[in-house]
Amino acid sequence: MSSPQMTQTKVPFWPAALALVASGLGLAFALSSTIDYTHHLDRQVHDLHCSFIPGVAGEAGQEAACRAAMYSPYSALFKDRYWGGIPVSLPAVGAFAFFAAFAIYLLLARERAPRRAHQFLFLAGLTPLAVSGLMFFISLTKLGQFCKTCVGIYSSSALLAVAGIGALLVDRKRAREALAAFRSTPGKTVFSPPAAAAVELEKAEKKAEGVAPTLVEGEVPAVEPPGDPDAPFTPPRTGGPGLIPAWLFALAVFSVVPALLYVSAMPAYSTYVTGCGKLENPADPTKALLHVTPPGAKQQATMVVDPLCPTCKAFHQRLVTEGLFDQLDTTLVLFPLDNECNWMLDRPLHPGACVVAKAILCGDHRALSMLEWSYENQDDLVAAAKGSEGIAKVRSMIRDKWSGLDTCIDSKETKQRLERVLRWTIQNQLTVSTPQLFLDGVRLCEEDSDIGLSYSITRLAPNLARSR
Amino acid sequence: MRAAALVGIAAGCALLAASAITVHGQVRAAGERLKTGATLEKPKVAVANDAEAAYCTPAFKEVLARVIHACGLVGGDSRRGCQPADVKTLASISDDDFNALFHPLKGRGAVLMFDDGQDKLDDAAKKIIEDRWLDRRGARYFFVVARASKTGGADFNRTLSHKRANSVLFHISDKFKDADPDIDKEVGLLWLGSEFAQLGKEYCEWNVSRPNNCAAEAINRSAFISWVDCQL
Repeated sequence: MSSPQMTQTKVPFWPAALALVASGLGLAFALSSTIDYTHHLDRQVHDLHCSFIPGVAGEAGQEAACRAAMYSPYSALFKDRYWGGIPVSLPAVGAFAFFAAFAIYLLLARERAPRRAHQFLFLAGLTPLAVSGLMFFISLTKLGQFCKTCVGIYSSSALLAVAGIGALLVDRKRAREALAAFRSTPGKTVFSPPAAAAVELEKAEKKAEGVAPTLVEGEVPAVEPPGDPDAPFTPPRTGGPGLIPAWLFALAVFSVVPALLYVSAMPAYSTYVTGCGKLENPADPTKALLHVTPPGAKQQATMVVDPLCPTCKAFHQRLVTEGLFDQLDTTLVLFPLDNECNWMLDRPLHPGACVVAKAILCGDHRALSMLEWSYENQDDLVAAAKGSEGIAKVRSMIRDKWSGLDTCIDSKETKQRLERVLRWTIQNQLTVSTPQLFLDGVRLCEEDSDIGLSYSITRLAPNLARSR
Repeated sequence: MRAAALVGIAAGCALLAASAITVHGQVRAAGERLKTGATLEKPKVAVANDAEAAYCTPAFKEVLARVIHACGLVGGDSRRGCQPADVKTLASISDDDFNALFHPLKGRGAVLMFDDGQDKLDDAAKKIIEDRWLDRRGARYFFVVARASKTGGADFNRTLSHKRANSVLFHISDKFKDADPDIDKEVGLLWLGSEFAQLGKEYCEWNVSRPNNCAAEAINRSAFISWVDCQL
């Protein structure tokens, strides 16, 4: 199209450069997050690289937000189909790789790049921001915390969107300058096609309030630049109508290919998820255990929990978030890890758990509400139990929220009932640990209680429909 | 422009390939670790079990085990309880050593006292049985060691001791059978008659059902009861 004699509007390099930097950062963060995720496919717990510097391990204790994000149902797609699902960061890896390559192209092509390239960068460059915005909203409203790696991806997406906006501005400027050149030059040299195209351009310009329309290649009027009547002005090339769909297709391919490879490399998990034991003798003739049966319950479950155990709290929240808890007809086995009542421990792991467990037993039909209350106030209850007032303070907190239980909590019957609950764990040869979930008597492996939860539950209870 | 496009395509393919191969390799490696179990060794987690108190010495557990296994408690044997001869044979232990085994249970258990020549429980004894039974905690077995004083013949006392042990068992069954269907698997009976392991007057200082009428002879017209916090 261009020739040495022709001139073109200079295209600033910063949008493409910014897009390259943003894509590079996004790629690094997404890859770091994905690799952290893949480490966990061996069903073990590993350290996370939760940092604003991609791939660098964060300070001890600061990975909680990243772990919460990873264990949430929003961290991956198709979780019930594949163990752990396909991490959402994986399509981001491909997408950022595509945008990085596209930015390199724009940097090299500069003004020779068709206008559609800049328009595409604007349009497609907004998609990572849209996804990031959604994930940001989820982090804010559902998780209540932000992981540093996620924030890195959000920031990269925002930078990429800024680069896309910059590219659009450049495109509009190029169009305006082309139109201005066309209008202001008295002796227009029309290269091809002749004046008709220019007339069309002017009409279109009026419609578009001064902005040159996207023109079909080959129909662009050639005008001379105002400053140099001798050098013919070459308007920016628009590019064919198939360019944007083609690039979108390429973006889709880049986003999907890593996921396909990921899935193809995944090991088979079906034999592992059912190999963690079962209840040997679940009968409860003395009716010591509690039962929680929501209206939509359709799957028998037995859950062994300690009301003051942080892992139980997280597990409960996960079941609720995944829409699973309301589908469970739950037999609740209170197993306080506190040697005040539990002879299987030589020291209290969760002081105060015994009195809270007794209160829940006394709560009867309010048991679930009380259990959830104890989860919500776990830190305060444990702190109270460890404080100077000890169990008396825990009792006071229970009394303030759930009045009228004092006599029941202190009764011999409640003590014996709790002992029978503990003895039930002996008759079933359970491990001294919480939480434990059994579906139709088959134990959900501890290793499957986080990112593999949906997959494992689908295998253990096929009829249990997920309703996210 | 074509060169720029080619460079862009090449860069894109290179980035995609590098990323995908990295992720693919990590997934494969995780799969290999899963398959071979090449992961951190998991800490051993205890299995829920009965309580194991400090007094569960090997000697005590030997007596306990022999009573449980040889005298009909475990395995649904129709025979129930051990006679003095059994204990002598099984435990191979002197009277004092035998009694000493139960000293750590002073606070946990109680001594139920009977009238001379009688096997009927009085109200105080019944209340103690109920209290002790409900204070199970993590114990697996409830022991009843019945005795008879030396008044009367050996056969008479042996029978009387047996009846006293049964009185305790029957009362427990009457009161708690509905709440605890496994009583038969939990209560171990031992009747000692008058020829073995008689108690001294110092045992009147234990938790006895008749503290005001306790003497050297009376303390042996009794049944010692206690949950035993030992694993077997």
